[in-house]
Order: sequence, then structure tokens, then C-alpha cells
Amino acid sequence: MTTFSIMVEQAQARVPVTVLRLQGDIDAGTQPILQDRAAEMIAMGTTHMVLDMSEVGYMGSAGFRAIHAINNLLDREQSDAFERSKYLKLLNPNSEVEKVIRTLGFDAFLDIHHDRDQALESF
Amino acid sequence: MTREQGPYFSQAASLESLSRFRDYIDQTGRQLGVDPGVLADLRLVVDEAVTNVVQHGYQGRPGPVEVRMKRLGDDVVVCIRDQARPFDPGQVPAPQLDKALADRPYGGMGLYLIRTMTDEAEFRPAPGGGNELRLIRRSAFAGTG
Repeated sequence: MTTFSIMVEQAQARVPVTVLRLQGDIDAGTQPILQDRAAEMIAMGTTHMVLDMSEVGYMGSAGFRAIHAINNLLDREQSDAFERSKYLKLLNPNSEVEKVIRTLGFDAFLDIHHDRDQALESF
Repeated sequence: MTREQGPYFSQAASLESLSRFRDYIDQTGRQLGVDPGVLADLRLVVDEAVTNVVQHGYQGRPGPVEVRMKRLGDDVVVCIRDQARPFDPGQVPAPQLDKALADRPYGGMGLYLIRTMTDEAEFRPAPGGGNELRLIRRSAFAGTG
């Protein structure tokens, strides 16, 4: 059984930012935990989000499906231009996860940061 | 067509079994001496393939999934068998990676990763029913890439 949990932190940068600290592996079994928790935070008013992936060991395409859905929930304007997300940033994916991010072309839309403060200040 | 021989790691199809298949690939790959970067790709590919069997093949119904990984010269061959309904990869739309996320339909990423991260991915009916996916990753050992 895959173990996965999320810790939620609120940070204040130029805008309030919700940081989801993801811990464990994200596969098709645990992906709904991420997607549902993020949707819950967005429903409660979150407008800007960082997914802290420092403690994610593995993420398959199910995790990217969740990130895709979270981005679309945050991007209320449904931008159709090829622009980077102003609302969702990724922090510290390991090299294997980052390879999949690039293989699936998500790096064209989502900034990847390796410093928490930089990620928060990037909004 | 001959059925692939050798010991298979077998589990009942479920999303809960995914981590056990990943562990099997990790352990077997390390025993075989597979290059760590290649092994990470194969862990992902097998996770995607078994996920497809669970979600689209069996559609939540029970059934077995079997995986075997072995060395063939400088290559690694992974076979994944199930007894689910016939799978036609031609029916799966390719992910539209050139579109903005807001316009991109969900899905298709698993099959795309399977094909991108292997040198060969052959889907075929298994003798006696079900499906067999045969994956080859060439030059999979340190010093052979």
C-alpha cells in the first residue's frame, strides 16, 4: 500500500500562498488525496499554491493528472495562451520526478523552484 | 507465438498493489545490476502499465496481474500479463502535449510515458486469453548505455 500524506502551511508573500507539503509516493491510488485536498483549499479561498515535493519519492502520470486539474482550478481565467502559471509553482521535485515533468511538457507551464523563499516570492 | 517463460511476480489487480509492483521492479533491477536511471524509468513504466490494467482492463473487477523482469544480453525485458478484456493501444488518444494545460484533455499520459521510456513496447494478446505487454529497454546496464 502506497503511503502518502499532505501537510498544509499558509505563507505570506506579496500574496497569501498555500503550501502543500507532499510526503510519500503519488500513484493512481494516492492521487485523489492530492487532488481532493487541493480542491478543498481552493474552495476555501486559496488563490496561489506551491506544491512542495521535497519528500515525494515517486510520482507517476496520475500525479500529473492531479497537478493538471489543480492548475485548471486555480487558473480561473482558463488562459489559453502558452503562458506559465501565475498561480501554481512546484518546489524541489527529485531528479526522477523532474525528468517526468519535462517528458510530459509540464515545465513549459509550471515553474520549478529549488528554494522555498524564491518560490513564494515568485508570485 | 510462445508464452514467455520464467517466474512472474503476481498480485491481484488493485491500486493498492501498485507499490508492490514498483518494489518488485526496484529489487529485481538492483539484483540484475540495472543502471539506476534506467531502473527509475522502468519503475515508472511498470506502474503506468499496471495502472492501465487495473483501471481500464479490469475496470475495478478482480483479476491477476503478473510482471517479470529479466536480463537479455545488454537489454532488460519486462513482461506484464493480465486476463482482462483485449486492449487496443490504437484506441488511446495521444496526449496533446503541444496545448496549454487549460486546453489539454486529461489522460493518455501513461501510454505516452510507456512508449517514451522504453525502446520497444509491444502489446499483444496473451495465449489463452488476456493481454501481454512486452517492454524492452536496450543498453540497460552501467557501461552499456
